[in-house]
Amino acid sequence: MLITISRQTGSMGEEITQQLARNMNIPLLTRDLAMKKVFPSVATPHEMHMLAESPAFFMTQSSDGLTFAQHLESRLKAQVDQGPVIIFGMGAQIVFADRPDALHVRIIASPAVRIDRIIKKRGLEPKDAERFLELSDRKHKRYISTIYGKDWSDPSLYHVILNTDKLGIDEAARFIQYMAENRQSPALAESATGAEDQEQQVIFKHPSEEEFARILDMHGLDWEYEPRTFPIKWDAEGNVIQAFSPDFYLPKFDTYIELTTMDQRYVAQKKKKVQMLRKLYPGTNINIVFKRDFNTLVKRFGLMKGEEPNE
Amino acid sequence: MSKTGPGRIIFSQDEIQLRISEVAAQINRDYEGQKLIVVSVLKGSIYFVADLTRCLTIPLKIDFLSTRVPSEATRKHTGGIQFVKDLDYDLQGQHVLLVEDVIGTGLTLGLVRQHLEAARPASLKVCTLLNNPAGRLLPIQIDYCCFTMPDLYLVGYGLDHEEEYRNLPYIAEYRRG
Repeated sequence: MLITISRQTGSMGEEITQQLARNMNIPLLTRDLAMKKVFPSVATPHEMHMLAESPAFFMTQSSDGLTFAQHLESRLKAQVDQGPVIIFGMGAQIVFADRPDALHVRIIASPAVRIDRIIKKRGLEPKDAERFLELSDRKHKRYISTIYGKDWSDPSLYHVILNTDKLGIDEAARFIQYMAENRQSPALAESATGAEDQEQQVIFKHPSEEEFARILDMHGLDWEYEPRTFPIKWDAEGNVIQAFSPDFYLPKFDTYIELTTMDQRYVAQKKKKVQMLRKLYPGTNINIVFKRDFNTLVKRFGLMKGEEPNE
Repeated sequence: MSKTGPGRIIFSQDEIQLRISEVAAQINRDYEGQKLIVVSVLKGSIYFVADLTRCLTIPLKIDFLSTRVPSEATRKHTGGIQFVKDLDYDLQGQHVLLVEDVIGTGLTLGLVRQHLEAARPASLKVCTLLNNPAGRLLPIQIDYCCFTMPDLYLVGYGLDHEEEYRNLPYIAEYRRG
């Protein structure tokens, strides 16, 4: 189990996370801990200072050729592999975006409430509290955008976003715990049972698709079956009159794959759909597996009898 | 009637050696001042990696990977493609050049790349003897390529038909008679 927490300053995210770690009795990894545990072995005192000050410095190569961001990621991954953990900040929601047992949480509050909390906590004047929040938000945002090229506030990076304007620390912590524990079972079951069960759950429209899924499994490539439908033609009123659902999506390669192994009469039609998709959704990777290529793959991996081709 | 076996020469011995020396010169320039670990995937790339590395002047180590497709009977227990010969060297923080004989769909390359990336090299580039971009399914960058693959079944210079003809010094079309 992995819980990542991203928070706005003044949202009580830190207090909620500490409470959550106590309630669940699992380790909490924070930036301070990472600075103490990860970097001293790979960074000089000057580099330690720069890391504390500048997000851009995380992209600098250390003496062994890896960037400091890579060192941090590596240590976070090693920690996550060891068992349940909560990671506070450090872009963990992006590093572990595809991890099936992860719960990515963002904790926010309205500006007025955050300013009010900062005034009370730090004894600042309203104007100074406002400035304090502005600088703090900017720093968090820059860390994520510099290292991962992502927008920290993008809701799609999170499973749940908690607004603590009217939530207490304990109830927010219990809510996250409930989410994590109740999400854990199906997510872990899916990842633990692996490819074979994935095949069983998916109902393929054609046996060739099932065979192709098996080929992808043999290559250790994660796939999703028909996860997205792209509208490709609309009528004058804007109603979708033609759509295209590519057979497979390979998340690690951000690529869709369409099989054309069945009736070859439809090859031209499929090619046209793929062309339209590329035109309408620029930047979308999609490739076609033609019948001959499919047969070659099937023979190569012994799913049918035949001679082994090149590659 | 044509007979079964190696036929027309597609890339001669001289053509292969000339092109390899050109690609090697590019690699020497790109890695100047750096050390390299060249990883070759057995068996198709044996002659290619041997000739390529002899043209490289940068300091390097050579390592080999070998994969095996499990039989249908054992697949349920063993899972997917296995690495029957894994790396001897630790790639962490090293510059790695993966050398392949043929890159077609990119599925095998995807598997090997994932395996190498897990070792956290400082950089990972791909060099292939033959590239078939028309059949590519995965968007994987090929950094160095000797020849574009024609739409033919090829043997020789490491490429086989049922394990034969790898030792031909040239690359020829395989005729099925």
